[in-house]
Amino acid sequence: MIAASWLCLFAPLAGTILILLGGTRISRVAAGWISTVSVFVAFAGAVGAFVGLHGESNRAGTISTAWTWLQSGSFKVELSVLIDPLSTMMMLIVSGVGALIVLYSIGYMDGDDEERRYFAYMSLFVFSMLMLVEGGNLLLLLVGWGLVGLSSYLLIGFWHERPSAIRAAKKAFVMNAFGDATMALAFFVLIAHSGSLAFSTSFATAGQLSQTTVDLVALGLLGGAAAKSAQIPLQTWLPDAMEGPTPVSALIHAATMVTAGVYLIARTYPIFEQARTIELIAAGTGALTLLVAGLIALVQTDIKRVIAYSTMSQIGYMFLGAGVGGYANGMFHLMTHAFFKALLFMGAGLVIHALADEQDIRKMRGIGALMPFTKWCFLAGALALVGVPPFSGFFSKDPIVASTINLGWYGWVFWACGVVGAFLTGVYTFRLWFLVFPGEPSELVRRHFGRHSTTATDGLDGGPLHADGQGTQRHGEGPWTMLVPVGVLAVLATFGGWIQFPPHWEYVTNWLRPVAPTLAVAVPTSTQESVTSVVVVLAGLAGIALAWAIYGTERVSVPGVPGLRRLLEHKFYFDELYDALFYRPAAAVSSLARRDFEEQVVLPTGPDLGQTALDAGGLVRRLQTGLLRTYVLFLAGGAAVIGLVFLVTR
Amino acid sequence: MLGPGVAWYAALAGFLFGTGALGVLIRRNVLIVLLSLEIMLNGANLALIAFSRHAGNGAGQIFALAVMAVAASEVCVGLGLVVALHRRRLAIDVDRLSELRG
Repeated sequence: MIAASWLCLFAPLAGTILILLGGTRISRVAAGWISTVSVFVAFAGAVGAFVGLHGESNRAGTISTAWTWLQSGSFKVELSVLIDPLSTMMMLIVSGVGALIVLYSIGYMDGDDEERRYFAYMSLFVFSMLMLVEGGNLLLLLVGWGLVGLSSYLLIGFWHERPSAIRAAKKAFVMNAFGDATMALAFFVLIAHSGSLAFSTSFATAGQLSQTTVDLVALGLLGGAAAKSAQIPLQTWLPDAMEGPTPVSALIHAATMVTAGVYLIARTYPIFEQARTIELIAAGTGALTLLVAGLIALVQTDIKRVIAYSTMSQIGYMFLGAGVGGYANGMFHLMTHAFFKALLFMGAGLVIHALADEQDIRKMRGIGALMPFTKWCFLAGALALVGVPPFSGFFSKDPIVASTINLGWYGWVFWACGVVGAFLTGVYTFRLWFLVFPGEPSELVRRHFGRHSTTATDGLDGGPLHADGQGTQRHGEGPWTMLVPVGVLAVLATFGGWIQFPPHWEYVTNWLRPVAPTLAVAVPTSTQESVTSVVVVLAGLAGIALAWAIYGTERVSVPGVPGLRRLLEHKFYFDELYDALFYRPAAAVSSLARRDFEEQVVLPTGPDLGQTALDAGGLVRRLQTGLLRTYVLFLAGGAAVIGLVFLVTR
Repeated sequence: MLGPGVAWYAALAGFLFGTGALGVLIRRNVLIVLLSLEIMLNGANLALIAFSRHAGNGAGQIFALAVMAVAASEVCVGLGLVVALHRRRLAIDVDRLSELRG
């Protein structure tokens, strides 16, 4: 169990190092396979850890320490891994879904010039995420936190010749840095009061701190979680992050990194439970985000952005679930979401790949007829997302909404948000499905799947046409490395939810009980559970029906409310707001400083420091005559001076 | 103690050192500079041995052996440089070899 956990943690790092050391000596495909194998090995390690922990009777968690990393006085931090139910669950999700996505990348990134760098970064990311979930103390969690932010920056900006990608990468990194800063501040407070960042001591001290202090700590942690998980008000980086390759969006911005915030809340729940107000603010943030993101997703025209806003919305559900105290609910939704969201992204990737990087859904109509496998897998993912039984989303989403009932008046607000969110989910998801898959193939689709063409190089037998104009001899919708992961995830998205069906059987809640027990107030009664389930499913089906009416059969036209449409298309003007709040004042202050202070005051009066430095350098330069004699003279003179000084002072 | 006092040895060592130093500073031929360097080293060695005998301590003589080893290697390197210079038809003149300047 312990060895398996260490293997799980370090296998992807070994993959990265191998690819880096191999450089151009290994082929691009070899780099892809090294990365894939390393993550599959990590998955094997995670399974080993899970099985080992399963066999243990006491599941409170083992900490295995390698060595002491930092020591300063009484503050000590070790390099250790924590093996407990929560971390093994995350290890399985991260390495399992990660392995499938890296395998998919082999097919997706085939032919890219810098494939090796891509796979090195992917392995680095998996290692960082595993470090985050396995870290044995808060500092290692923060290390993993920072490293996933770095990997995300590197992978979003992977196609670095695109200015939009670079901008998106910077935006993601800066917003995450804000969250890192608040988390670091929270950790400083913890160190100041307890002198340690080990989980047990930190959680014990939380009980002894004053209410304001623990509120501040929880707020700092929430800031980090909100930044990493793209919740309001730090959500604007996620849609822009779609500039990265689709597998990156699937892995980082859907299945794993953005869920780190939820994991953090579940992991540090003792601190949050002491600061109940902040925990409820987290839930409120989740509720607000799930509505806002759902609304924005209604008007998006880029296939990846719809799924990105969907991710934002579903993480809102997870925050809602964890914030009210149902940590197992939040984690379970994290798991099913990883399955169906990665599936949706990879399905979108299959479509994008087939259409030579076209991402506008208005041009994609009818591709389902030519890509049936993708169509059905995507449908499975979409139904899971909306929460239609028996797909996995139904089992995970409804308990979250039901758990808000017993909280009081705001509980009912959250409940309403959850139900409306389910309706919106149905609408935007099936808007996407109906616009892209069924119906007559559009002109773009026909061009790419064209049977007869006057050019010599075209797709034969209805296979997709590649971007470079070379026809493919394959009949399939993509290489097996892309189709197999999609298939596996479709199965998981369909059946993966059956492991928990509260209140009948609750495997996940029981598994997590030693380390993340659900608060009593977040446990609904049987009736509340059933009624909520029915309402949420009906809301989702109503959303699907509306999408079918508008986009499937075009019986009803899109309601035209121009002001609202503009608001949604501008994503509630968050980008403009942040521009006005942060960028404009900073730019104004700096240009003011340059114009009025630097140019008027500093430059005319002060000495030209640059020129002075150059002149001084010129003087010293004359000492280097190039003649041996001068140097020897200086040597001898120096020795004489030292000798004299010795004689005089003795 | 037999023979001249340590002061005479020290004076001779100083004279040798001074001669060598003067040679290094004044002469232009690289070979002569290396030769003067050797004279300086010998002066230092003499001083070491003289004081070692005066103090009855063997450490100075051991150190003088170490100095001899260093001197030998340094001569090898120096003469190697001279041979390389000659092969490239450069002048064996310290004043002319002044390209490494600021």
